[in-house]
Amino acid sequence: MHSIFDSEFQRQMTRRNFFGGLGLKLGGIALAQLGLSRLTTAQAATTGAHPPLPGLPHFKPRAKALIYLHMNGGPSQLDTFDYKPGLTDLFGKDLPPSVQGGQRLSTMTSGQKNFPVAPSKFSFQQHGQCGRWVSSLLPHTARIVDDIAVIKTVHTNAINHDPACTFLFSGSEIPGRPSLGSWVSYGLGSGSENLPSFVVFTPKWPDGSNGQAIYSRLWNSGFLPGKYSGVAFRSEADPVLYLPNPSGVDQGDRRALLDTLGDLNRHRLERHHDPDTQNRIDQYEMAFRLQSSVPELTDLSKESKATLDLYGSDVNRPGSFAQSCLQARRLVERGVRTVQLFHRGWDSHSDLPKQLGNQCKDTDQGCAALVQDLKQRGLLDQTLVVWGGEFGRTVYSQGGLKRDNYGRDHHPRNFCMWMAGGGVKGGVSYGETDDYSYNVVEKPVHLNDLNATILHCLGINHERFGFKFQGLDQRLTGVEPCEIIKGILA
Amino acid sequence: MPMPMPTLRPFLALILPGLLATTAAARDLSFNRDIRPILSENCFACHGTDAKKRKADLRLDDENSAKAAREGRFAIKPGDLKVSELWQRINSPDEDEVMPPPKSHKTLSPAQKETLRLWIVQGAKYQRHWSFEPPVKPAPPADLKAGPLDAFLLARLKQEGLAFSPPADQATLIRRVTLDLTGLPPHPGEVAAFLADKSPDAYAKLVKRLLASPRFGEHMAHWWLDLARYGDTHGLHLDNERQMWLYRDWVVEAFNRNLPFDQFTIEQIAGDLIPGAADAQKVASGFNRCNVTTGEGGSIDAEQLFRYASERAATTMQNWLGLTGQCAACHDHKFDPITQKDYYSMYAFFYSSADPASDKNTLLVNPVMKFAPPDKLRQLETLKSGLTTNQQRFAAALKTLAYQDPAEAVPPPKLERADAVWMDDAFPAKAKVKSKGKAPVALVGDPEIKPASGGRALKRLAEGFGEDAYQGDAAPIVVPRNAIIQVMVRLSDTNLPKSVMLKFYSDGWKHRAVWGDAAAISEGAAGGPEPFSAGPLPKPGEWVKLEVPAGKIGLKAGDQITGFSFAQFGGLVYWDRLAVAGETSAADDPKLSFQAWQQVKGKSQTGVPKDIIPLLNASPEKLTAEQTAKLREYFLVNVCKTTQPTMQPLIGAIAAVEKEVKDFDGTLPSTYIMGEVPKPRQAHIMQRGAYDKPGQPVEPQTPAFLPPLPATVTNRATRLDLAKWIVSPENPLAARVAVNRFWQHFFGLGLVKTSSDFGSQGESPSHAEALDFLAVTFRESGWDMKQLITTLVTSQAYHQSSDTRDALLNQDPENRLLARSPRLRLNAEAIRDQALYVSDLLVEKMGGKAVRTYQPPNIWEPVGYIDSNTRKYKQDSGESLYRRSLYVFIKRTAPAPFLVNFDAPSREAFCSRRDRGNTPLQALQLLNDVQYFEAARAFAQRLLTRGGATPQERIAFGFQCAVNRAPDAQEAARVLAMLKGFEEKYRAQPDLAKKVIAVGESKPDAALPPAELAAWTQVANLLLNLDETIVRP
Repeated sequence: MHSIFDSEFQRQMTRRNFFGGLGLKLGGIALAQLGLSRLTTAQAATTGAHPPLPGLPHFKPRAKALIYLHMNGGPSQLDTFDYKPGLTDLFGKDLPPSVQGGQRLSTMTSGQKNFPVAPSKFSFQQHGQCGRWVSSLLPHTARIVDDIAVIKTVHTNAINHDPACTFLFSGSEIPGRPSLGSWVSYGLGSGSENLPSFVVFTPKWPDGSNGQAIYSRLWNSGFLPGKYSGVAFRSEADPVLYLPNPSGVDQGDRRALLDTLGDLNRHRLERHHDPDTQNRIDQYEMAFRLQSSVPELTDLSKESKATLDLYGSDVNRPGSFAQSCLQARRLVERGVRTVQLFHRGWDSHSDLPKQLGNQCKDTDQGCAALVQDLKQRGLLDQTLVVWGGEFGRTVYSQGGLKRDNYGRDHHPRNFCMWMAGGGVKGGVSYGETDDYSYNVVEKPVHLNDLNATILHCLGINHERFGFKFQGLDQRLTGVEPCEIIKGILA
Repeated sequence: MPMPMPTLRPFLALILPGLLATTAAARDLSFNRDIRPILSENCFACHGTDAKKRKADLRLDDENSAKAAREGRFAIKPGDLKVSELWQRINSPDEDEVMPPPKSHKTLSPAQKETLRLWIVQGAKYQRHWSFEPPVKPAPPADLKAGPLDAFLLARLKQEGLAFSPPADQATLIRRVTLDLTGLPPHPGEVAAFLADKSPDAYAKLVKRLLASPRFGEHMAHWWLDLARYGDTHGLHLDNERQMWLYRDWVVEAFNRNLPFDQFTIEQIAGDLIPGAADAQKVASGFNRCNVTTGEGGSIDAEQLFRYASERAATTMQNWLGLTGQCAACHDHKFDPITQKDYYSMYAFFYSSADPASDKNTLLVNPVMKFAPPDKLRQLETLKSGLTTNQQRFAAALKTLAYQDPAEAVPPPKLERADAVWMDDAFPAKAKVKSKGKAPVALVGDPEIKPASGGRALKRLAEGFGEDAYQGDAAPIVVPRNAIIQVMVRLSDTNLPKSVMLKFYSDGWKHRAVWGDAAAISEGAAGGPEPFSAGPLPKPGEWVKLEVPAGKIGLKAGDQITGFSFAQFGGLVYWDRLAVAGETSAADDPKLSFQAWQQVKGKSQTGVPKDIIPLLNASPEKLTAEQTAKLREYFLVNVCKTTQPTMQPLIGAIAAVEKEVKDFDGTLPSTYIMGEVPKPRQAHIMQRGAYDKPGQPVEPQTPAFLPPLPATVTNRATRLDLAKWIVSPENPLAARVAVNRFWQHFFGLGLVKTSSDFGSQGESPSHAEALDFLAVTFRESGWDMKQLITTLVTSQAYHQSSDTRDALLNQDPENRLLARSPRLRLNAEAIRDQALYVSDLLVEKMGGKAVRTYQPPNIWEPVGYIDSNTRKYKQDSGESLYRRSLYVFIKRTAPAPFLVNFDAPSREAFCSRRDRGNTPLQALQLLNDVQYFEAARAFAQRLLTRGGATPQERIAFGFQCAVNRAPDAQEAARVLAMLKGFEEKYRAQPDLAKKVIAVGESKPDAALPPAELAAWTQVANLLLNLDETIVRP
């Protein structure tokens, strides 16, 4: 019945680490066999941390981790980074048709008779060595301009929130594809034994702002195996689902139960030899470790006063953006690959000065503190930080226009994002828009280019990074050619 | 047992997984199995079907193009490697020459090159892509011991030097088949009965019982609803609630009643278009309404309509044809012969759907339909049959009703006394009295005056003209024949009027009688007849009876009086008891005579329905016989005093049932169905897949490379034509794709692993002949789903043990050869349902509105739009917490974590196969989620109350419930040791025990000591977390 192979099997059965060894061996074979296709469960049986795909990273990565600060709803580029002093004189004048160019508008303003130019009511000043123009809404970000690269010419395909966000994070407007963080986890594996490799925060946002819906598909794994989905840490209740033991049960009880469970599972494993069972035993142990590592992670009491002060007093408010930023730093310190923050409320169709003011106030210090904190700890070089929304906003006012009050509709044709850290050159301004911030005139950056660049910083060649699904080698960046934004790379 | 040759293994490992071929040299190469996958992966992108991207005008998918002479050379020259450019180029050391080009990032392995070499040497034989050729039922290999299906599998195993594993033990088998068919484990009693049944058909009986269980449809529905992308919300933006759970219930029921798969297909694609479609068939058409929709402000209608049609076309093609049609949305398919025109011709079938571009975030978006599910339908049918009975009774009574119109009677009916009091003590009911004179209307009695009759008399003091009158409002008074009107009057002897007058209103105040000075009381109807002087003023100071014949004041028999007045000129007058002495004939009475009633006309008939009034107002001679009959029926039922008492209860009964039916209808749920806009929209090829770049117009049509629609389809083809074409015998794909999905359910992976891609980029079948054998048999059986399933689960392949061994894992890591049965982690729903089932908490109520079970806080809230009606999760209580997972509410932008954690899809898009992940979050859920920990306590109660007397017995019973087998001695000892530890702990800390058993909404059994129950709760928690518990063995 048993081959010589099997007697080796028997011999190793006595060794506690046998299944780990078996997993590796199986993994090695399976990888050679499967090439780019998905890992078998046997492979994942090694440890809690899953390994990178073979051959990845494709080259020496500049960044080991990614922190993505998503400003959901579409921040106005005109009131933050894209300084257009010439607009002041054009207050209330109709946007010239030559500029508008017959481009499609969202149906929220396509019925408007006029498209009156709304200059930003906020003052702009130059900051840093690089002399970056930044509006008065972002005093903290203004202090880190020499560390960040502002891209003024990002553009996207979609004009409404749902498809635009889905496109931003999965490369397709249609739901069902893996999110950026899932791709990264899939490709680069996990760097932490005790924490998930992809963590998501959905911090609170200011009352009165127009908070759009977000969707778990923005961090789901789509057609990739489910374990690559982001784990949404929650600002209220338990940070990780089902983390605490039931009432009356302590970790000692759990240890007793898990020891019994492990023994029983191993006992059956001797009979059926299903590697998935060893994997399950390991996952239960990882779960046990998570029960300690996550509370440790979210406990900020050991942070120095200087650090807490950097993030501002908001850092003590549960679920605040600032607190999420600090936790993002703590996560990448602990080997987490991708942290994504979804801050909502940037959809300023009306009452923009007030709403945008609140939004900036809620996030500005946290963003700046995160970059500074990472830098002070020497982590910025190996962490890529990305800031931005799913589209920009129109130069013309939606609804009534006053000098000090106006609204802006969705504008997918150009908007600003910034990147900092691992692989990115600080103090750079990339691309140019026309006098109305309505069209790109120089160096357009499509979202696919942006995603390709993010992958590049992480050591991944986006063209060689795919997953076979529905008969195609599916990629985050799709099938159309796209380019790395070389101009912002260090 | 034959062993694989050790020297072969490394080579196998290099080239074979995915292809599952033996070495190229070992047998003749097959183009479809061995060659096409290599060419498709590496070459077709530039040398395939996409004309726009084609390089060097060379097609390697097309035999003629590949073998054509090109200036003395050939891409492929059969048998001749030297002039075969393909061979030269894949081996070229020159970066500019080598194929595939470096920038494609594709490389051929040495083994793949060797396979291509052999193929050219052997003559480079082409085949059409296997799945586009019609399946032919192959003759099974002669193996007398195995059924045909097993014979195919065994033949393949034999080639690899393998064989089936020994059969699983009987307990494993019943657990396996019960979980696979119903999503729940067997009851320990069922296991015992099966083990005791030694009859040869014991297993066949078991399968039959399970297939007949309603749980069967509930379990099958999961994978079908994944394909249908069914959810309880719209899926985009606000993600508000959507009501179409009737479609979900239809799927369950269709599996349970074993609806033939061809009909199952037709009803879902085009149930609404079936001539004379039953309601349930329309409900089935909800399949194509399951796609995600948006109500986002700012959306562009044209874009959404494009998206919906595109999604439906793609889903239909993937689901039934196994074709990745959406690849051809922007350009011709690169690997399969699906042109962009093919794709948009399929899209055209869906582009005229009647649903709008925006769902407006409403629960119901047209077209929708009310539907009575079977139990409701039975109720409704009972009600409706009651209605019919009542209607029949009514009709019969009407028919036999003895009625003779007295106006037509010969001889005419006898006259009868018809004395009546028109007023005594009070004006007629509802009369609004208007008075002229020195005071408002006054009815007075003792002590002021002793009335002539009754308790009160009317008093009027006037200077000049005075009166108390009403007109209208009160019920009309009918004047009898030979009527003499009588009134009592008493004049003041100290304040004498000049005259007194009675006035009657019938078509005007034209009927007046005056006593005394007629000239003094000259008030009257202008132009009307003068008042009739009935006599002198009566004697004052006492009650006097005044009389006037009705004829004298112009009132004739049958006239209707709708007002009267007591009038005077000056003085003080008391009036009392206005009456009539007369005679009547039934012929005059509108409540007895139809003719008399017709004279009355509609305007004085209150409550006559709208459709009767015109008939009543028309001249009788102008009515048709039918109209007269209708009018007469109304009269007899509602008016006629002699017939009405018979008919009213009957009509009342009808009305009551009608109201019940209507009320019942109000409780019926609505669901989404498909529909077509009245005038079809013109579909176009959309250039580069952009919704605003329409190109060449296209009509609904099936892909050109597949058999055409039947010639009988002459008009614009419809979805119904499409559906029938899909399941037509000529279609090479549908039956294969369908049987493969069933195979996938029972064996974990399909015979074609890429179960929604049967194109050239999909994987070739591991057992092509078995697939075709099943496909043809399925079709020939009349698409009998339960028969197909029976074939699968009674096979030897299915019965094998799932135990594996190292060598086998190495040789066949994915178990494609089926040298053992797979071990499969249960799906998310079955894991939860099983926990509820073994703990006796499960509430097996089928169908209906989705329920909201336990869910940790902040799943919906952090993602929901402020205005969304699914932003705040409100957990149900009571039995809804314990229903099967199929009925749990699916919010597509934030699905329930117990589902997501175990790889259930979000249902935003078609899902053909679920992953079977293994994560720490799963462990946390099964250990800590209130749903599971409560189930553990309930399970513990079951063990303590019904599990036997000793801990050993209870542990054994626990194993029987959770994994359907007894524990061995080591297992039992290990669990017992843990139990002892917890018992000690909880005896020492009773408060802790009380906390442990208080988890969940249901209450712990108060009869059980908390410490004991808590310790057993830990044991039950352990049992529910066993690897073996959540795995189908």
